[in-house]
Formats: sequence, C-alpha cells, structure tokens
Amino acid sequence: MTLITRIQSALITCFGLACFVFASSANAILPIESLDTVKGAKTYFIQIKSLPIIDVEVSIDAGSRYDPDNKNGVAALTAQLLTLGTGSGKSSLNEAQIADQIADLGASISVAASGERTVLRIRSLSRTDLRDQVVQLASLILAKPSYDSKVLDREKQRLITALLEAQTKPETILQQNLRKAMYGKYPLAYFPTPKTVAAITATDLRNFHASLYRGDRISINIIGDLDRTQANAIVQTLLAGLPQSGPAIAPLPVMQQNPQGPISQREVRIPFDTQQAHIAMGMTAITRNNPDFFPLMVGNYVLGGGGFVSRLMAEVREKRGLAYSINSYFAPGKDAGFFEAGMQTKKDQAILGLEVMQKTISQFISDGPSEEELLAAKSNLINGYPLRLDSNRKLLDNLSGITWNDLPLDTMETWTKQVEAVTLNQIRAAFQRHLDMNRMQIVVVGINK
Amino acid sequence: MMAVLSMQSSHLRNGVFVLLCQLALTGFQLAQAQVKPDSAQTHEYRLANGLKLIIREDNRAPTVAHMVWYKAGSMDETNGRTGVAHVLEHMMFKGTKTIKSGDFSKRVAAMGGRENAFTSMDYTAYFQQIERSKLAEVMRLEADRMNNLNFDDAEFAKEIQVVMEERRLRTEDKASGLLYENLMATAYKATPYRHPIIGWMNDLENMVPNDARQWYRDWYAPNNAMVVIAGDVDPEKVRAIAEATYGKLSARELPIRKPQIEPAQRGTKQVSVKAPADTPQLAMAWKVPHIDPAKMEDYEPYALALLAAVLDGYDNARLNRTLVKQDRIANTIDAGYDMVARGPQLFMILGTVAKGKTVAQLENGIRSVLSELKTKGITAAELKRIQVRILADKIYKRDSIFGQAMEIGSSEIAGVSWKQLDPILDRLQAVTPEQVQAVAKKYLIDDTLTIASLEPQARGTSKLPFKAF
Repeated sequence: MTLITRIQSALITCFGLACFVFASSANAILPIESLDTVKGAKTYFIQIKSLPIIDVEVSIDAGSRYDPDNKNGVAALTAQLLTLGTGSGKSSLNEAQIADQIADLGASISVAASGERTVLRIRSLSRTDLRDQVVQLASLILAKPSYDSKVLDREKQRLITALLEAQTKPETILQQNLRKAMYGKYPLAYFPTPKTVAAITATDLRNFHASLYRGDRISINIIGDLDRTQANAIVQTLLAGLPQSGPAIAPLPVMQQNPQGPISQREVRIPFDTQQAHIAMGMTAITRNNPDFFPLMVGNYVLGGGGFVSRLMAEVREKRGLAYSINSYFAPGKDAGFFEAGMQTKKDQAILGLEVMQKTISQFISDGPSEEELLAAKSNLINGYPLRLDSNRKLLDNLSGITWNDLPLDTMETWTKQVEAVTLNQIRAAFQRHLDMNRMQIVVVGINK
Repeated sequence: MMAVLSMQSSHLRNGVFVLLCQLALTGFQLAQAQVKPDSAQTHEYRLANGLKLIIREDNRAPTVAHMVWYKAGSMDETNGRTGVAHVLEHMMFKGTKTIKSGDFSKRVAAMGGRENAFTSMDYTAYFQQIERSKLAEVMRLEADRMNNLNFDDAEFAKEIQVVMEERRLRTEDKASGLLYENLMATAYKATPYRHPIIGWMNDLENMVPNDARQWYRDWYAPNNAMVVIAGDVDPEKVRAIAEATYGKLSARELPIRKPQIEPAQRGTKQVSVKAPADTPQLAMAWKVPHIDPAKMEDYEPYALALLAAVLDGYDNARLNRTLVKQDRIANTIDAGYDMVARGPQLFMILGTVAKGKTVAQLENGIRSVLSELKTKGITAAELKRIQVRILADKIYKRDSIFGQAMEIGSSEIAGVSWKQLDPILDRLQAVTPEQVQAVAKKYLIDDTLTIASLEPQARGTSKLPFKAF
C-alpha cells in the first residue's frame, strides 16, 4: 500500500471515532462544568471517577511579567516561599511542619511562577479526610505566607547560585539573548540576575502577594473523583483567606512585533568555549486565542513539530547528520507569543546548520506544505488526539489551557474538527502573516564573530 | 528523587524517566473508587519462539502503549565497541527489507502515534503510544524490524554523526554528564557498567556499520525480547495478533553472557573532574546489593530503598533539611538507589555546594548526617511517612498507562517478575527502623565508597553582549 492510501484510510477510521473518550470508562469526552463563582474567581470542574484521586490547580495572574523593575525574581520567590512558612502565632507552621504534613497525607503541593502566571497544584487521594486536610493546608499556604526573612535570605542565595551556574551553560546564554531580542521592552524580555535577586526584600514579596493574589485574578480547575458539591466546597476553602480584589494594577505594555531589519541588526554571534554551537531563531508571533492558531499549529507540525517526520528533521538530521535535536514551535501565550526553532551542532558545522535552518524555514513561509504533507499532518494530529487526553494529568493540562486563555469550554470537543478544517491556503497565509525571515531574530552561541 | 539516572534516553529530545523505587501498596484504606489489583488486570504469555508477552488492561481511555524490550544494553557490549547498543537503536529506524528508511516513523506518525526508543545499561526498548485501533499495525511494524532490519552504509555514516552530536550535547559540553561518567568509570573496573551508555567518543569514531549489524544479529531475536502492552485492549485478541506477527519469527541461539562480576573494592576511590561550571559538585557512591530474583525475601534492598527515601524522599527529609535548609552547606542534594537492575548497584548521594562553602564541607556535612542516622537510627514516624508516600504513589502511577508498561518492562528485564511488584510493596511496608539503620551501618562505609567531585573551571569566552546577566 502506498503512503497516501494509508493516510486516507487512517483519516477515514478516525472519523468513525468522532467522539473520543477520556480517562473514563464511558469513552466520551468529559464535559467541563463551571462551578459557583467565589470572590470573582473563575472556577471549573471535570468529574472523573475512574481513579480515587483528585487534582486541583489554582492559577494566579501573578507571573514574572509583573516583577517590579530591577527586582526580577519577585514573582518566583513570592510563589516559592508559599510552602516555606505560613500563618502567625499559634496557628503558624514552619517549612518543616508543612512538608511533613503534606507527606503524611500522601499528597503533593507544588507552586511555581512562569512568565504569565503563578500556578499552585495539589494532587491528593480522594478519600475525604485526606483531601479535606490537604485543601485546608493549601488554603492557609495561599493566604497567609510568613515570608520569614531568614528563609528568604537562604532562598535568594540558592537562586543566585543557580543563576551563576546557568550562566556557564550555552543553552541559557542562547535563550536569554533570544528572549531579549524578541521581546524588546515587553516585560517577558527580563529575567532574574544575581543583582536583581539580591535587591529583593521580604516587603517586596508581601506587596506582590497582597496586590496580586486575589479572587479576581484567580482561576481554579478541579478534576477527579469528587462531585460538584465537593468541588464547590474546595473552591470556598481555597479562597477563604484571600481578598476578592485590590488596588488597580497598571496594564502591561502591548507587545511590539519584531520590526524588519538588516541581518546585522537581527543576528548575534557569541563566542563560547563549547564543542557545539547552539543555534536558535525566533520572533514574536500569536497569542493562543488568535484565529490563526490552528493553521499555524498544523503547519508547524510539517515544518518542525512533527518529531522524526518534520522538514527540519529531514534536512538537518536525516539528510545531513548535523544534529541530534532540531525542532520548531509556536509558544502562544495569553497576551504574547513567539515562534522559535533551534538546534545544536559541532562548531565547524554551525554556519552550514544555520543556512539549512534558514533555507528550510524561509521556503516553508513562502510555499507552505504540500497537499501530501497537509494530509499527513492532519492524520497524525486527529488520530493522535486521544493521546492528549488519556490521563487525569493531561486532562488537567488541557482544562488549564482552556480556562487560562479564555477559550470556549467545548474546545476539546471541537479540536479535531478545527484541525480537519485547515486548508493549504490558510496555512500559507497564516505563516506569511505572522512569520518573516526579515524580522527573524537569530542567536548563535559558540561561534566566532 | 535522584538527579543522576541510570538510563540515558535517546532519539527524541524528551527522555523517558521512570524510577523504580517508587512502587506501592496494600493495607492502606485508600479509596472511594475501586482500583482493581494488578494481578486481575495483567496477563502473561510465552510464545513458542520464546518471546514473552505481558498485557496490562487499563480501560480508562481508548489508548495503548506498545513496547518491545530487548535484553541487550550497554552492559552486553565489549571493549572497543562501547555505544553500539545505542547506535543500533538509532539504526532501527533506517529501514527493513520492505520498509524504506524513515518510513517506520512516517507510518506511526500517520496513525497519530507517538514513538521513541531508549537504551540503558540493561536493555534497549522501543515504544509507540497509539489509539487502540492501531495496535495491530504497530505490532506488525515492530515484528518486521525485529527480524528484517536492512540499513545501508550511507545511512550509518550519517547517523553515527548524529550520535556523536548527541554525545557532545549530553556529555562533552555538560559538567554534570562528565562528572557522572567519571564516577562510574572510577567506581567500577571490571563490570561493563563502567562504560557510558552512549559509548566513548573514540569508540564512536571508529565504529563501522558491521559493528551495528553484528549487534543486531547477536541480540535481536524473539527469545531475547519481551513485548509489554498496556491500555484499552482485549488480551486474547492481542495474543492472537502477537502469534500472527512476532510468533512467526524463529528463535536463535544467543551469545554467551560472561558474568564479569566486579571484584570487591578495597578502600575509598576518588576522582576529580575539571569542567566549565560555576558550582562545585560532589557525588558519593557506595556499592550496595540489589534485588536477587532468587532471594526476594532478603530485606536489604528494601531497607536501602527506604534509606534513600528517609534521606531524600520528601522536602523535609534528612539531607535537604540539614544540609540545604539548616546548615546551608548544599544548594541542592539528592539521594538515589535502584533496587531492580541486572548489574551491580550504587547508593548515591549527589550535592551541589552552596555559595562560599567547599566540597570538603559538603562531604563532612553528608558524613555527619549519615553518622547520626547510623548511631541513633530513624524514628518510626519518619519511616511511616515514607511508607504512606509509597502507598499513595501506587495509586497515582495508575494515571499513566505508559508508566505502567515501563515498570513492568524494566522489572522483567532485570529478572523480577511483574507478579513480584505487589509483594515488593508489602516488603517495603514491613521494613523496620532497625533494618534501615542496619543497612546504613553495613553498606555506607569507606571501603566501598567512591567520591567524585567537580572542580569548576571558567568557561573560555570573550565579552558577552549582555554582561549584566
């Protein structure tokens, strides 16, 4: 059988599936329910009874893009110290007590700040007493961090040490320079340095927490073995100690697109004592709610997202043996997004690698995929859709993306239809609308100027 | 738990890491929903050609993980040909008598599948994750390349370059990779575990296509392979497909495996590694036993697993609490131990040094934590905390069918039947504080210790454009 007929038959099979199934014995996409609104927070729930576990995610619009000037690292430390001390007086818990309690409950609580948001996640067994205790603890942690100055001092030192170590790694230098070039003056261009971290005080953390950790900046996603009433109760508990709103927050600047310019203004080459050169190119692109999301995602599968079968993989690795890893992706955020492609190769092949990447991407922007490539991309994305939803963890990731980005609640149901509807023309037009080799920012680390 | 893994993955950029020490269950009152026991959900068959087939039914979603495991890892390699197990893994995507180079991946992609492969010291494994109706097709593809691999020299010439790039990325330019490689090469002198999975660069440079072909002829046979399938399947139907695909292949005589037992170590070994970095690192590794499938009752491996967890199993465990939080000697610290493996095992503690402190201070700090544990023992509450964690993890890991297939496969390849996984959890629950103390005293001793330290060197570089970083 030829490849094409096989792909067609695969597509036909998949239409037969139409409604997939997920993490449930019923084999149908599980509905997202809106829970009661509490203190202005958006709250959602998917019931899955097939395992006796629950997952809860609290998303706070308090990412590092809100770091105060010259104090990059505040969002990260505000989040990180949540589990390192809470409450005051008799009801206080120190970091050891919190860690022991979480362990004794057989649960986990993790907190991390990314550029866009701070996320607290709880995983617990669904047994009522265990679940209630861990949610109670999380509520305390969220609302009443102690921000002890000794703990902060230690965590700052640890962060600075990690930052200094990261500066010796080519991938860090590459990413910092690319982010800087792509984002310009948008806050995501900045990141913590030993200097900005050293400047942070406990008051900075308290202020950040007081102004941004509040109901109207929070969304809560709950999935697992519990009912709607129990989920509503969890929301109530988690938000109990937090305010509904607070002072007005200055709006973030609108992200500017990378302008066209000569290569001398868009390319930076950084000498670095490594065996390999690390190469990346990227530019500002779309947000998740952009109508071109699906054409760009399907197109990028062909260009550099499709594992072993992408064009970049074929040109760089399969035909020339230049690199172990080569890929491209769109990172569409809520308010800002970018496109990036990257590879690593031994230094004397760096120029060749760079040329092959540029040529491959440039050609794709002009011509788009072939009919056959489009069919192969749809076949993979549609047939493989069940793999994106086949565990509680993956469902939570999907739910979280949908609610954070304000996407329609039926996004999982319509996803394969949206992929199926993408045309060659849409892909070509979308790539030409959003990408441009004359705007592409290029960084090479580990090469002579 | 452990930053240093005994498995180095390959092919796609995302490695797959599952630590076997995190098993779980019995006795704990767990759930409102019911979780069926593994024994009722798992089926084992042996085909006439010797291939073992294990099926774990899990009907939560319409997907399947299909894995083929070969008992052929870097520990089966010989001098001058280190890395060949992993190189062959790459070549397995380069065509058979009927499938062109690259078409294996194209077909899996068209099915919507995700695929990858990885090589460890103990085995080489290949997998696809697919929607359930595609299972028969991936079984046909894997059965085909089990017997009909046919790559040409030009493909090999390109792919060996890719593997060398992989080595540069993972080891040559990475201080932690170099440290681990040196630790293993120092701790062991006879067992092939002393060689890196990816191979020494010089061996890669001198590898020829026939080295890979010979490896394939030696080890890729149904009687040296195991198929593990987890997900939404009907076991009897899958068995019939397996008979019609893998079952058609003939068993072959396998090379003789020499034991290559590591001689007893007689005194501490030490190695220092200079590499570009900012933070000094220290690894301490002791030779310890692992599970002997003929003596599953022996408590020592279970006590060692709990010892690792008492030291580093949760945020307030002893090493982190003392060295990172209280004394501020370490910036990070990890302990790790794998009780299920084909070859000899190390109990490892790996730390990065806090700013202003030295490797010597970190070593003293680790020694004092261990010394306190050896003299005073551990508390019942401490042990209970770890045991609860293990029980909960038993439930959490059911969330991933791929994780379930990984656990079955990596245990079986080490000679530990999947049927032992639940009894192992029972044994972990039965370990006493005295037993944890006893294995610490018996095994964490200087005579079998290897210490590796990283001495950071400034990276040769001229001015960076953004100096403030």
